[in-house]
Amino acid sequence: METHDVLRLAQPPLKRFAPGALLGLASALCAVALLATAAYLITKAAEQPPILYLGMAMVGVRAFALGRAGFRYADRLASHDAAFRTLRDLRVGVFERLVPLAPDGLAGTRRGDLLSRLVGDVDELQNLPLRVVSPLVISGSVAVLSVVTVTLILPAAGLALALTLLMAFALGTWAQTRVAGRAERGLAPLRGAFTDRVIDLLASLDVLIAYGALEERLAGLDEADRRLTAAVTRQSVGVGVTSAVTLLLAGIASVLALVLGIPALGQGDLNGPALAVVVFVPLAVFEVAGMVPLALGAWRQVRSSAERVASAVPDARPAEIPADVPGIGTDRPAGVSLHGPAILELVNVSARWPNAAVDALENVSFTVSAGDRILIEGPSGSGKTTLAHVLVRFLEHSGEYRLGGVDVHSLAPDEVRRIVGLNEQTPYLFDDSIRQNLLFARDTATDADLGAVLQRVGLADWTRSRGGLDAPVGERGALVSGGQAQRLALARSLLADFPVLVLDEPTANVDPEFADSLIRDILDAVAGDFYSRAVIVISHTPVPADLISQRIRLQARVRREAGETGRPAGDARGSTGPGRP
Amino acid sequence: MKPLDKRLLKYAGAARAFLATGALLGLALTILVVAFCFLLSQIVVRAIAGDSLDSLMPMLAGLAGVIILRSIVTWLLDWTSARAGAVVKSQLRRRLLSAIAALGPGWLSRRNATGVATVASTGLDSLDSYFSRYLPQLILTVIATPIIVLVILFSDLPSGISVLVTLPIIPVFMVLIGWATQTMQRRQWDSLQRLSTGFLDVVGGLATLKLFGRQHRQAARITSITEGYRRETMSVLRVSFLSGFALELAASLAVALVAVSVGIRLIDGSLGLSVGLFVLLLAPEAFLPLRGVGTQFHNAAEGVAASEHVFEILDEAERMPVLAPPAAGSPGRDVPTGRLRKAGRLTLHDVGVEYAGVLAVSGFTGSFAAGSLSVITGASGAGKSSLIAAMLGFVSHSGLIALDSVPVAAAGGSGADWVAWAGQRPGLVSGTVLENITLGSGVVDRSLAMRALALASAAEIELDLPLGAAGSGLSGGQAQRIGIARAVYRSLARGCPVIILDEPTSALDSATESSVIDGLKELVRTGRIVILVSHRPGVIAAADARLTVNAPIGVGI
Repeated sequence: METHDVLRLAQPPLKRFAPGALLGLASALCAVALLATAAYLITKAAEQPPILYLGMAMVGVRAFALGRAGFRYADRLASHDAAFRTLRDLRVGVFERLVPLAPDGLAGTRRGDLLSRLVGDVDELQNLPLRVVSPLVISGSVAVLSVVTVTLILPAAGLALALTLLMAFALGTWAQTRVAGRAERGLAPLRGAFTDRVIDLLASLDVLIAYGALEERLAGLDEADRRLTAAVTRQSVGVGVTSAVTLLLAGIASVLALVLGIPALGQGDLNGPALAVVVFVPLAVFEVAGMVPLALGAWRQVRSSAERVASAVPDARPAEIPADVPGIGTDRPAGVSLHGPAILELVNVSARWPNAAVDALENVSFTVSAGDRILIEGPSGSGKTTLAHVLVRFLEHSGEYRLGGVDVHSLAPDEVRRIVGLNEQTPYLFDDSIRQNLLFARDTATDADLGAVLQRVGLADWTRSRGGLDAPVGERGALVSGGQAQRLALARSLLADFPVLVLDEPTANVDPEFADSLIRDILDAVAGDFYSRAVIVISHTPVPADLISQRIRLQARVRREAGETGRPAGDARGSTGPGRP
Repeated sequence: MKPLDKRLLKYAGAARAFLATGALLGLALTILVVAFCFLLSQIVVRAIAGDSLDSLMPMLAGLAGVIILRSIVTWLLDWTSARAGAVVKSQLRRRLLSAIAALGPGWLSRRNATGVATVASTGLDSLDSYFSRYLPQLILTVIATPIIVLVILFSDLPSGISVLVTLPIIPVFMVLIGWATQTMQRRQWDSLQRLSTGFLDVVGGLATLKLFGRQHRQAARITSITEGYRRETMSVLRVSFLSGFALELAASLAVALVAVSVGIRLIDGSLGLSVGLFVLLLAPEAFLPLRGVGTQFHNAAEGVAASEHVFEILDEAERMPVLAPPAAGSPGRDVPTGRLRKAGRLTLHDVGVEYAGVLAVSGFTGSFAAGSLSVITGASGAGKSSLIAAMLGFVSHSGLIALDSVPVAAAGGSGADWVAWAGQRPGLVSGTVLENITLGSGVVDRSLAMRALALASAAEIELDLPLGAAGSGLSGGQAQRIGIARAVYRSLARGCPVIILDEPTSALDSATESSVIDGLKELVRTGRIVILVSHRPGVIAAADARLTVNAPIGVGI
């Protein structure tokens, strides 16, 4: 996506945007009019005219006072409502662009925190109408209308007001940009260095104490803190410059109005009340004009959010990502035989990640028959996860990949995923109940079905102790341990009834002492269907040999971890197939 | 929310200093505002009365001077408050980190470590707006508003009364509306929370949704989540925006009331124009700081909430009975002897560990002989790691832990050279691999470090490879072997007779595991006592002795 596409999605259409902006403008004009009318009222009253002459002004003062607060309240409600409605369209728009690319085609979003940052960036974009466009429109209009009004009364003062306003916009923006820019450039590395040291200290506190290195580390932290704080205090000089400049120019505008207005007094049209208006209007206008530097500051943030969103979503589907074919439906394709030998075949399959220069997986061949228990082992960097993603068509491959004798390229990726399931290394649990986390795998399942599958994965007692199927799993499964998450994910996969199930490092996030029993439980649970499901386990730690019917060892490729290379490929126990051709 | 937490003043000296400077600057600013309004109204009135520009020049010059001074003082107030925010954050962070170090790893392990790290690094950043935006307005509310109201009262009693009447409306409304908003938010808390994270949940789980063929229905789900979020948020906003409405209404109504009442009294001649203009200009200034407090209230609340977390930890550290301070002096520089100190036997007799009244280990007795590789096994929760923590002195224990009948010293203190240890997590820090391996050893010996790496089956790792925070940039297996190498290096460099490793091979494949065991056996042959905690069959098979820890009665697994 291009940045301007993102920004266009984020800005409400005129029909939705206009009410809030107009109400905001009305409120700002009331603020200026209130002071101008009040000044006029008082100076006119000093001439002691009949009170009738001032009736309008008195009504006006009260009306403007009410209008200023009332319109502002209505403006805030209308603009927030519009921003939320636009957020809805924006989220759907971005999401629909993510779907065909996810998960592997999204640049730099493979890490969870980057994904949440993408979502944060999308939500940050609702500040575009609220904090950028609306204030700019309102203060721009108020500035122009005030200059016109003052010009009609005294042209020279109008010119002076215009000039001081322009200077305030320019200087304020310049100061704001400079301060923010310097802060970003100068502080970010220092802040990063300090944060790194804090993480070091907290993550390794026991080690640092045991090795007698605590004092030294605390001293280093103090030093990093001192440097950071010194830089921040140096930059704090610039913090108030924008508001000080605005205040100064507001004063100058009033002084100029006096200097220009006093000689004109009594000559021609300018009388006392008009002078008061010309002198007092700048005070109110500059309060509104002070929004401009803030809006431009917000604009910088919105723009960088838009840039990040745009760069996370590539314009075109990279060649490494299979084309999604929507509309084919998600039923299991006919004509794919899932019984007997060779239900899944790979011949010389290679694959690489988008934007990678080399293949992460090279020339892998193996055959899976119904009921097989296959262990894929190998050090990190040998392409184990790449293989898993090829198998569920998250990644495109070269070579041949057949399901039940049918080339997967003649199937929609969704259809392939009805046959081959994947339990991810870190299973994703939705912030919902246990029931909802299971039901989306098979929405026709009854509570009895769910109870049975939880029993199979060894979570029946746990579910009861948590208060049943309606118990929440927490945000990102926060209320569930790594082992329980694996079991829930397994329950989900069992419900979806995949004929071939890939388990990617099921013990990666589990305490070492639980690992063996977990993998045994999982493989026990997977068996016992009426037809024999094939299972492919990916693991870099040993799996008890009696659970496995075939071993395939991948060699380190990209990042060689020589501690695990140059040795015989695994041990021979239980191995029935060659690791690589 | 308390506007100003006393603990802030107690724990951060810079906050006290800032309040004093801020009060002085606030007073100066108030005087300048009054002077500005006075001079401006005087000049307008005299000009209307017919004074020439020339005769008004001195006053105009004075006005210009006041305007310049006012800008400068405003800027000074902004500057000092931003500066104070930075210094206070630094003071709190330093205190916090010392407090955490004093509370120790045992305390930290019972907390969410990422949460603590966030509090200590970026969590306090919300204090920035508290200091730079909220506190100055609070100071001005306390100083400027009363002075300006007094000035108005003295200049024109009726105007002063109208301001005095409208002014209290603001805090009353703010409290009422704030209270209503909170009630609403509390009632909708759960649904608001879920709706606000709902989009993240769908995007984060997109891969999972695709795996189950559910991605095509999600656009409708996002629409309904966001619509729900809009509806619920708008119903809260309708109430909470009322506080802004009340603020603006009170401020502008006061101006209108003053203008009308002054106007009427001007017509009948009971009031002079100069006073009228003066109070008209002053009236909004009385409300300005209060409006600032109102609009910055949310920023302030975040800052207060962030500092609250810090104060809790600081208070806890203050209540803590002072244990032996770790790492007295500069260990490492005193005994850089490489010669192995002879030790015959490490004995544990009736060792028990208790956390907050709950037994983690009870009555463990066993011994480890020189020149042997021992493995400690036991079910999860049986207290293996607690036993190690007791041996290292991270937790207090009952019973006796002695090396050749001499009770051992706590790790990190003086006399801790008896043991080298690596925990379940590798505990690496930013710096090079060499810096990690030689951590706290005082001596940096490259060839010895290479030997330690080789013994840990990690000879291929470059000594000069730089690591990120917490050792990022390595695979789990690499980090684990560097952790082992560090313990080996310490034992070699300082002659520690005992090496304790907790689950040292959990991230390794079986081939690497057996190579690590070979390296450890080499150390055993030098007469060292090597103790491993492990559940791995390969390790248990290779050990010379196996000790089992049983969970204390009543401790569930």
